Parts: sequence; structure tokens; C-alpha cells
Amino acid sequence: MWKPIHLFAFKKKFDFLGKRKAALILSTAVNVVSILAVIFVGLNFGIDFKGGIALQVRAKQGVAQLDALRATVGGLGVGEVSLQEFGEASTVLIRIQRQEGSAQCVAGAQRVMQKRAGAGWQVKPGAAGTGDVEFTSPQALDGAGWRDAVSRVGLTVVERQLPRGTTATAKIDMSPEQRAEWCQQVAIKLVEDAIGTDYEIRGTESVGPKVGDELMTSGIWAVLATMAAIVVYVWFRYEWQFGVGALIAMLHDVISTLGIFVLLQLDFSLTALAAVLTIAGYSINDTVVIFDRVRENMRRYKKLGLIDLLNLSLNETLSRTLMTSGTVFVAVLALVLFGGPVLYSFSVGMLWGVIVGTYSSIWVACAGLVYLNLRPDQLRPADDEPAKAKA
Amino acid sequence: MLNLPRWQTIVIIAITVLSGLFALPNLLPASVLNSLPQWYAQNRIGLGLDLRGGAHFLLEADLRSVLTERLTNLSDSVRAELRKQQVTYKDINVEPGRALIVTLRDEAQRAKAIEAIRTVDPSLAVSGSGDTIRLAYSDQELFRRKKEVIDQSIEILRRRVDETGTLEPTITRQGDERILLQVPGIKDTTDLKRKINQTAKLTFHLVNEDVAAAGANIPATLPPTTFLVPTREGMQELRRTNPKAWEDIQTANPRMSPEQICRRYQPQCLPVLKRVVVGGEDLDDSKATFDQQGNRPIISFTFNSAGGRAFCAATRANIGKRLAIQLDGEIISAPVVQGAICGGSGIITGTFTTQQTQEQALLLRSGALPATLTIIQESTVGADLGADAIRAGTVAALVGTALVAIVMFAAYGPVFGGFANLAMLVNLLMVFAGMSILGASLTLPGMAGLVLTVGMAVDSNVLIYERVREEKALGRSAFSSIATGYERAMSAIIDANLTTLIAAVLLFGFGSGPIRGFATTLSLGLLTSMFSSTIFTRMLLAVWVRWRRPTELVI
Repeated sequence: MWKPIHLFAFKKKFDFLGKRKAALILSTAVNVVSILAVIFVGLNFGIDFKGGIALQVRAKQGVAQLDALRATVGGLGVGEVSLQEFGEASTVLIRIQRQEGSAQCVAGAQRVMQKRAGAGWQVKPGAAGTGDVEFTSPQALDGAGWRDAVSRVGLTVVERQLPRGTTATAKIDMSPEQRAEWCQQVAIKLVEDAIGTDYEIRGTESVGPKVGDELMTSGIWAVLATMAAIVVYVWFRYEWQFGVGALIAMLHDVISTLGIFVLLQLDFSLTALAAVLTIAGYSINDTVVIFDRVRENMRRYKKLGLIDLLNLSLNETLSRTLMTSGTVFVAVLALVLFGGPVLYSFSVGMLWGVIVGTYSSIWVACAGLVYLNLRPDQLRPADDEPAKAKA
Repeated sequence: MLNLPRWQTIVIIAITVLSGLFALPNLLPASVLNSLPQWYAQNRIGLGLDLRGGAHFLLEADLRSVLTERLTNLSDSVRAELRKQQVTYKDINVEPGRALIVTLRDEAQRAKAIEAIRTVDPSLAVSGSGDTIRLAYSDQELFRRKKEVIDQSIEILRRRVDETGTLEPTITRQGDERILLQVPGIKDTTDLKRKINQTAKLTFHLVNEDVAAAGANIPATLPPTTFLVPTREGMQELRRTNPKAWEDIQTANPRMSPEQICRRYQPQCLPVLKRVVVGGEDLDDSKATFDQQGNRPIISFTFNSAGGRAFCAATRANIGKRLAIQLDGEIISAPVVQGAICGGSGIITGTFTTQQTQEQALLLRSGALPATLTIIQESTVGADLGADAIRAGTVAALVGTALVAIVMFAAYGPVFGGFANLAMLVNLLMVFAGMSILGASLTLPGMAGLVLTVGMAVDSNVLIYERVREEKALGRSAFSSIATGYERAMSAIIDANLTTLIAAVLLFGFGSGPIRGFATTLSLGLLTSMFSSTIFTRMLLAVWVRWRRPTELVI
């Protein structure tokens, strides 16, 4: 049987808050830089928030030819295209900007039709101001034929939109917004047709303009609501100074995480947002444990100065703080190393969150208490009661 | 604190064992599962589409157009009714998606006009003043109509996407005007879109009463104008009594004609004339309602003008005969024509229950999709991509768990570290059990949530053990150190877990798809860890302390 190793049992007591000025400068600098980076460089939003298309393709033979692929897909008239190697040298993630339903898209639809249904097909935009699209077939088609034909370009229609009887042209009425959504489908088909012989399409993802905008709005609300809820909880359980200290620490963690996303140009997708929210919750986790000890010590050592009291509490909880950050750190490290490319930006974000969350509990949240002038006589009487009852 | 009453120990062990039992089907290999009773073995966590492979569509219904169309139809009826009541009007306009505006010539006729409109549709809310009357659907009515359109679309999608009953699609409402369609295991979405574009074939035929009068269910010979079609009840009966035959019919390729089915399997069938009286594309609406006395459930339906004329002529000439309504090769109903049905709308009466009329009305409407469905979000994942994700997630989870276990063993020794690690495994079992019970699916972010849970769940044990160390350093006895450690660490444990739980729950509320999977595993893991890391380990330690009676704690 082996003996436990006291990993973080330090003989020396650290004067954490003696460094609070340096920490204040460092934290402020990191956060200002992060905010500036988010504003001027911008987050590398994934298609979840921006709308657009992502295709994961793998070369049928050998490694992917990024330059050739970029030239091919870029020449399809689908707007801005970005490519990146994804996990392996044979696999590429192709990202295409969201489609706007322009005349170019209708021309693209014609190419898809001609390739998939025959050279005689024509697709033209309808009257200006509408999203209507006019299909012309080389031979007359009945209702079933039309339904079949338009689904080749990913168009879903209702019976009402199709011509009656057997005709050679069909004018499908759509709003401009509906056409923009449909053009996402057209772009996917164009890429499939252009690279399908050399590459296998492993997965596609398409987020239309509408959903992208909505997710962006609700994402911002989710972050704000989470932070508000956590602060309210802390404020409920502790004195207001603790609530403010925790809020500043949380903002610090969230902002600097966003900064890391900009700095490393990590894909900011829904999973990345999940990381940010988790970091907001986790940031408080450490802080609350330290605060719990601070409050306990405030009752015990009524005469001790605030800085000494905070230093004492921090040293007492240090080993716990480092241990739990350590266990989460190794778990997240496993995700970074083995979790695969889809989870990569989530995992890297989380890893940073764990590190910065530990730092901020000590140097932001507790230093905040110093600046907020917390004193023992400010403890609410109610908070003292359980202690009295125990004694 | 450490003297647990016997009943508590029993409850703790029972919860642990039950969790294990619920989690077990997820961990056993298929060969073992097959030998277990099905009710138990099928109790497994489903895989999300990102792991399983498949297609996911978010469709948006264009409800505005539907409402505008309904209002336009309504304006025709209002116009006719006003003319009948000799109310003169300047104009009737449709405000797209919202309301109908009638402008009268004579303000004095306002009351009379409103009364006339009420007879057309009593559910309309009337407002406006002077010579204008604004007719709008009330919020309630609007909500009901939207819901109706979405429900109908879902029903139709189900019929179209899963003709053969083998695809297991999940089709659910999303908010007010959206439908989420998930089909596991398919990669070619062109075929799926073709199916969405398909129309169910709804046709009205006259029953050949001469043949039917002969009595036999399946006559040997038929006039060339007549063919046999199985009734819906007949097919359902067949499905109950001869599931094998039903399965054969569903999977037959090419599909069997109704007459072939009648001849081969002999379900209840009706001889009907081949000539189509009216097609489903001419049916505007049908709904379940009650007769004028207000007590008998009936089905009412409305044709467009072309359908109305054809229906009028056919019913006038065939009073007393039955009119069969055929949907996708099955007769869903064959009411007797009581009289000429002209004017575009009619009713079907019979000894129906309310539920039956609702079902029939829905079937009648299932010919055409009521609203345009636009794909606003789509994702397809190939099966091998899903397999890669499973592999990556599993490796990360195993390595993460192993690393955390090593750290805990190293830091707190074989006994305390071992108990914490045992608690971690129990926690994982409880998360699996919880997901099985909730019917949640595991996604790739969900696996990340599991890994994170593993790292965070031991936090409670760290808090307790560190406190025990402190108490021990203060010179307390082994027993007392453990007891006080648990007691003092509790408030920090609850605070620490609840704050992260708040974030996870809000994420669940906000997120969709795979992200919900992350929120699910994380919140479940945090909740169950409060049991496994505190209550469960406390029991283990209580038993251990009583057994070994340590004089000094090795922690």
C-alpha cells in the first residue's frame, strides 16, 4: 500500500494579495486586449451563428489537395470559401458563406439541373422583387415529374406551387427569404457535383440566414442570463461584496476566453458557446469555495485585518483549489488530445477556462474584496446564526 | 455523522444497485443483450445523429401564406353572403396573413353586415368603425390554426418519409412554426427531399353497388370499370391477425396494387368504379365537428370551385349509393350519399366517436401539405464520420477517467483515493441510468460533458478530503476528522455544484441538438455526483472506519 502524496502541501505561506497590484495590471491588460481583439479582429464565428455551409470531405485517394480544392470550390460562384485541414491530411473542412438568393444562385441551380437531369434544363429567376424561380424542362412533365425534378436541386414544394396538368415550364413562387434558404441547398449540390469524383462527402451542415441570426441573438441572451443567474445566486448566499467580486471574476474569465478564441482563431460555434457558459459556471465554483472559507474565518478571527484574513483563507484552500483544477485540467486535456477535431475548439476553450478560472478566484475575486472594502462587521447577522448554533 | 442508521445504508445501496441495473444494458455487448428479456435489454441510451449518422432537417412552415389563402377563400364566402343579404359594399380586401377588411357603402347596414358575416364564420373577431369592418382571427383562433397546420404537416411528413415503416424518423414540433425532422442512418438527402415533395393520393370513387350487393367480399370476376380496394379497417385487421402478410405488403417491391392485395390476402375490400369523381388536390379543408344539434360527431369538408362542381354533379346522380374515399390505396371511408352536395362543402355522418372524426378529418387533409416547408437548417453525418466521433469520444472519456483516477489515487492514497474513484464510477453509472430513464440521446458534446463531469465530480471528494486533512492537522481523532470534514465541506460542495448546474440548465434551455446532449450529461452528472461523492462515499467510509478502527488516518 502506498502513501498519499500531498501534491500541493506547501510549507510556505504565500502572500497572494501582496501581488494584487501586479495582478490588477495583468488582468486589466489581458481583458482590455481581449475586448479590443473581439471588437477589431472579431471572433471567428462558425456557421451556427453566421449562417453558411460546412462540408467535411475526404480524398478518396491520398492526401487532400487544398490549393486545387480552393480553386475549384472558389470558382463555383458561391461566395467566400475557406478551407482547412480537419484532423487528418486527407480530410478537409470546406466552409462557404451563407447564401443570399442572388441571380448567381439561380444560375448555379441551372448547372445542377443540367448535370443531374439533362442538358435541356433551364432555371431562371422570376419577376424582380419576388423570389420566384422558373424551371423549363426539355419535355413536358406532370405533377409527379415536377416534384421529382425540383427535389434534385434540393427544393421542397407544396402542391399549390406546381403547375396543373402536364407542362414544360413551372414557375415556383417563393419569397426572397425562402429563395435565400433554398440557395444553401443549391450551393451544397454545386460542391458535390464539382468535387464528388475525387472526394467523399462525409458530412454536411447548412445553417440558413434566419437560423444563424436567431442563434446569435439567443446565444448572447444565454450568456447574459447565465451570468445574471449565477450572480443572483451568489448574492443570495453571501454579502454583496462577494457577489460583485464573483461577478468581476466571472466577467474576467468569460472575456479572456473570448480573447483566446480570437487569438488562436478558434472556430466559435455552438459548442464553443457551451464552453463559455460552462466556464462562467466553473469560474464561480473555485471562487465560492474560497469565499466560503473567508466567511468562516471572518467569524473566527474577528480582529484579523482583511488582507491577512484573505491570505490565510487562500492558503488554507490552496491545496483544494489546485487539486480540483488539476482533476478538471487532466480530464479536459484528454479531450484536447483525443476528442477529435469537432470538439477541438470547445476543449481548448475549456482548458483555458480552467486555468484562468483558478487564477481569477485568487487574484480577481479575492483582490476585489479588498478593493470593495469588505469588513467583518458587514457580515449579515443571519449568516452568523448557524455558527452560533453549532457553538 | 458516521453512524448511519441501517435503513439509510439500505437505501443508498438500493439506489446504487438500481442505477447499475438501469445502466447495464448500455454496457453489455450485443451477444449478451440478445439473451436477456427484451423489456430490459431495450432500455438503452440512443445515440444522437452526430454519432449514429443520419440527416437532420429544420423545416419552417410558411404560415402567413396559409392564412392569407384561408382569408382569400373567406372573402369569397363573405362576398356571397353579403350579396345574399343585400348588403352593399365598396370593397373587400385581404390584409396578408392577418385580417379581412370590408368597406361598406352604407354605414347604416353595419349591424346587418356583421350579422351576415357571423353566419359565415362565427370565430372571427370584429372590429373597426363607421363604414369599415375589420375581421381578424382571434389570438386563440390563430394559435389553433397554426397548431393545426403544423400537426397536419407532421402527420403528412410521417406518411411520406416513412412509407415502409423502417426508417424510424423522429418528427417533432419546434416552437410555433417549425418542424424538426431527424432520420437516422441515411446519407442521401435528395431521396428524402423527393419524398417530402411527394403527395399522398386521395381520390373519391363511387362504389359499384351491383357487385357489392352480390355479397361476397372478393368476387371472382369484375366488370372492367371496377376494381377492388381494401378498406382501412380491413388492412388494420390484417395487420393484427396476420402481421407477416402486412409486413410483406409494406416491403413488396414493386409495390402491390390494391387489387393484388385483395386477391392474395383477402382483407375486407370494396369494389369501386375506376373513374375518379374528385381528386384530393381539389379538397381545400376538412375538419372534425358536430352536427347542428351539436351532439353527433361528424366530419365536414370543403372543395375548391372545380372540385365543388364535379362533386355536385356526381352526388346528384348517385343518391343512395356509397362514395368511397381512397387514400394511398386504402378506403378510409365510404359514406352513403344522402342528397346532392352542391356549394362546395359537405359533411360525412355516421356512428363516429369524436376521436374517429378527428382521425378521419386528418386523413382527408393528408393529401396535400398545407404550407410550404422551407429547409432552414440541415445537417447530414455519414455513418463512418459518426463512428470516428464515437471512437474519439470514447478514447477521450477513457483517458480522462484514467488520468483523474490516477491523480486521486496518488493524492489521497489507496483507501480514500479508491473510495473517490469508486464514487466516480458509480456517478458514471448513475448518469447512464438517468439518461436511459429520461430517454435522452448521447451526442459528441454529450461525451465531452461526461468527461467534464468526471473531472468535476471528484471535486466534492477533494473538498471533503482536504477538510479532513485540516481537521486531522488540528489534532482530531480519525473518526472525528472524517465526521467534521464531511460536515464542514457540505456548504461549499452545494454552492460549487449549484453554480455550474445553473449554467448547464440554462444551456439546456437555450441549446438544441448536440448541445443539449452536453447540457444533459453535465447537469445529470453534477446532480448525481452530489449523491455519489458525498452520501455514497460517506457510507463507504463509515463501514471502513467501523471495520478497521484506524487510530491514525493515512490521507
